[in-house]
Amino acid sequence: MSCVDRPDDFAARRERVRTLSDSELHAYFWELANQIVARLVAEARTHTTPSIERSVLLRMGFSSIEAKALVAAIVQRQLLGRGAGRLVLELATRKRISVRDAGAALLAGHFWDELG
Amino acid sequence: MKLSPDQPLDLLEVLKDLDRYRPRRKGWTWRKKITNHRVGPFVLADTSEDLARSVPLPSAHSFGDIDPQSDVVITTEIASGRFEDDLRRMRMAAWHGADHIMVIRTTGQSHIDGMIEGTPEGVGGTPITRKQIRATRKALDAIEDEVGRPINFHSYVSGVAGPEIAVLFAEEGVNGAHQDPQYNVLYRGINMHRSFVDAAEAKRIMADAGILQLDGAHNANATAKEAWKVTPELLVQHAINTAYSRAVGMPAELIALSTVPPTAPPAPKLCLDLPYAVALRGLFRGYKFRAQQNTRYIEADTMEATVTHVLDTLISRLTSADIQSTITPDEGRNIPWHYNNVAGVNATRQTLLGLDGLMEQVQLKSDGPLREQAREIVERAVLFLEEIRAGGGYYAAVAAGQFVDSGYFPERKADGIVRDPDGGDGADTVIPRAPDYGAPVCSHFGNNVYADADGTPCAAYGGCTLCDASKIQYIDEVDSTDTVVQRLQVTLADRAAGVLRPEVERHGDGIVCVTLFVPATPSIAEAAALEMVRHMGLKDAQVISRRLIHPAEGSLFEIKGMLDVAINIAELPRLPHPQVLADAEIEAWVRPRSITVVAATVGEDEHSVGLHEILDIKHGGIERYGFHCRDLGTSVPVERVLEVAEDSRAQAILISTIVTHAHVHERHMRRLAALARQRGVRERVVLVGGGTQVTDELARRCGLDAGFGRGTTGREVASFLVRALRARSGA
Repeated sequence: MSCVDRPDDFAARRERVRTLSDSELHAYFWELANQIVARLVAEARTHTTPSIERSVLLRMGFSSIEAKALVAAIVQRQLLGRGAGRLVLELATRKRISVRDAGAALLAGHFWDELG
Repeated sequence: MKLSPDQPLDLLEVLKDLDRYRPRRKGWTWRKKITNHRVGPFVLADTSEDLARSVPLPSAHSFGDIDPQSDVVITTEIASGRFEDDLRRMRMAAWHGADHIMVIRTTGQSHIDGMIEGTPEGVGGTPITRKQIRATRKALDAIEDEVGRPINFHSYVSGVAGPEIAVLFAEEGVNGAHQDPQYNVLYRGINMHRSFVDAAEAKRIMADAGILQLDGAHNANATAKEAWKVTPELLVQHAINTAYSRAVGMPAELIALSTVPPTAPPAPKLCLDLPYAVALRGLFRGYKFRAQQNTRYIEADTMEATVTHVLDTLISRLTSADIQSTITPDEGRNIPWHYNNVAGVNATRQTLLGLDGLMEQVQLKSDGPLREQAREIVERAVLFLEEIRAGGGYYAAVAAGQFVDSGYFPERKADGIVRDPDGGDGADTVIPRAPDYGAPVCSHFGNNVYADADGTPCAAYGGCTLCDASKIQYIDEVDSTDTVVQRLQVTLADRAAGVLRPEVERHGDGIVCVTLFVPATPSIAEAAALEMVRHMGLKDAQVISRRLIHPAEGSLFEIKGMLDVAINIAELPRLPHPQVLADAEIEAWVRPRSITVVAATVGEDEHSVGLHEILDIKHGGIERYGFHCRDLGTSVPVERVLEVAEDSRAQAILISTIVTHAHVHERHMRRLAALARQRGVRERVVLVGGGTQVTDELARRCGLDAGFGRGTTGREVASFLVRALRARSGA
């Protein structure tokens, strides 16, 4: 649902901001902007996405093809909320194998029941 | 890899050993500013370090071929779809002063949920892949060595794979990137939760890698119905991305606002655009400004586009810009042609140099309409932000169609872009992090059990790719049917065979552009123009610009077509190549030596225009270098020319012979040489013949030292005389 038509009532609306000095107006501008993004930042802090998790696996030394397959498998098992990187690292630590070997094992279908 | 200025880019060398290539640096590089910079005869105020190699502006030949560089980074946007052709375009642009190369992505890459690998061909842009980035960065390393200035490489961290692309860019030394989740939401229809959550991670990665971020607000200008009314929203969009970037840890010096003057003539551009530019720079003090040029009102007329872009650049100088982006003047009619990238860069550097030192002489008024209108735009933006807050926040505002409405806020026209917060590409893919969520890597944003651990988050496994680049997994190609090596076969075969075809975009694409004026009413003229081009042998002719000059007297057309002709270099006739000297060099040699030149149109010949073009200072003739010219006029006997030359101890004789009936021009030249020998002055006097039918070869065959034909300039003749006289004197 789009905004409805509205005439330019700037002359009336500006009354509450016109008394502000330039610096006060600027400060208010940034206060509003920061308030608006605060909720967005909070969501980002507490959520993840397949792309974020793939980017984590890239940084851990997986190729884009491996990262995509691993994250797809993790999403399928509803484990993404724990973090793809953590799942792989913990498996590697537990099995005393490299991170890349742990990822390869998961891609081969092994150890999924041990991730939960 | 080292480039040789007289050799084309060796594309096979670029592609060699890419699996082992590492970028030489990371992060953005600004030009090194120099004030009071002496360049040739001038002292400039707003410059940076000179280039080692470049192509100066055409007029530079009057100023000793100087090529001062402005203090702002200059951008050109490149996207032929084939990166191997893009590399050659980058090299050309760098020689004309571009040091920010922005590669537009292939259509649809925003919607690919993951990374592309290999070197597939793109549409409307280039597929951004690891191999393409490595090859491009490697070529740019060599190009920046060739021109002597760092070149920033830039692309896009947007779409549904932003965090992965950001990692790729950080790993591979990409220097700048667009990153603005609002772009995803408004223009790509990507789910807004996904866009903002991804953006936080991407921005964090970019910040740590020193990648300069450009936002996407300029798109609101490009898509607005009435662009001058979108200015309050532009401030809002800049603010949302900037505040969000700061909140996730990006420092101010890596945040550049992508801003564009909204209008174009016949709108009163500066009166509308300057208050906005002032308002923006006041609100966003401390951030960088990437000044874009207007695309909203660009049409097919490249001259008109260039004038608008010059005015845009004037606004940059009247306010400020850290990066001056350029738009190719042909963007309104086709995917930019490579020589138009150069044209855009040149128009901009010409403007910047012409405006050098401007703000030492003029000042924007601190009161009056400029400040009042700037204040009004800020107030309108504040009211816009208030309405977003009151309506439940950003997502609700987009859902309500508050963005890209064509009303001048608070006016509303109910035509804004509407997006469903729960819909769009990538909906339902945002997942809450569990309490034990972990990401054992550097440059990660948000809750993370590894973030509080001692040392780096990646220490447990010996470091992530941002700490140890040897762990990066390089994929060469995925689809063997669509690779750069396959595409290069035609290019390499052409080069090996010594074959040339014209081009505007891709190697040897055969495209040429013909300009025709046809004296008829527009529709008849256009049909006739296309027919004429077909008669020229061009295939797939298409009108790319039509300009009404007069409804009845005629129209001007630019028509592109394909010239399906390959020219073999080995079979080309050898054309004489006039080697001209610099003006200053000619004058420095001539003036102290008091050199006399006797000139005349010989025989029964009353043509005087050609000789005047060569002699007169008014026409740019040789007089301006200090030659003493004795012009004996027209219909002068050859004997008379020699007598005067002897009496005045002239060092050179120029005869003009236009009439060619019965080869009389040849007879005059032979007679001049013969008489000079008889009189014993041949060794002392340089003999030059000129005329419409005279060639250098013909004149030499007739015993003269040189001949010049139609279109010769005084500089060419002066260059020859200096060389010849130098050789005789041994100086």
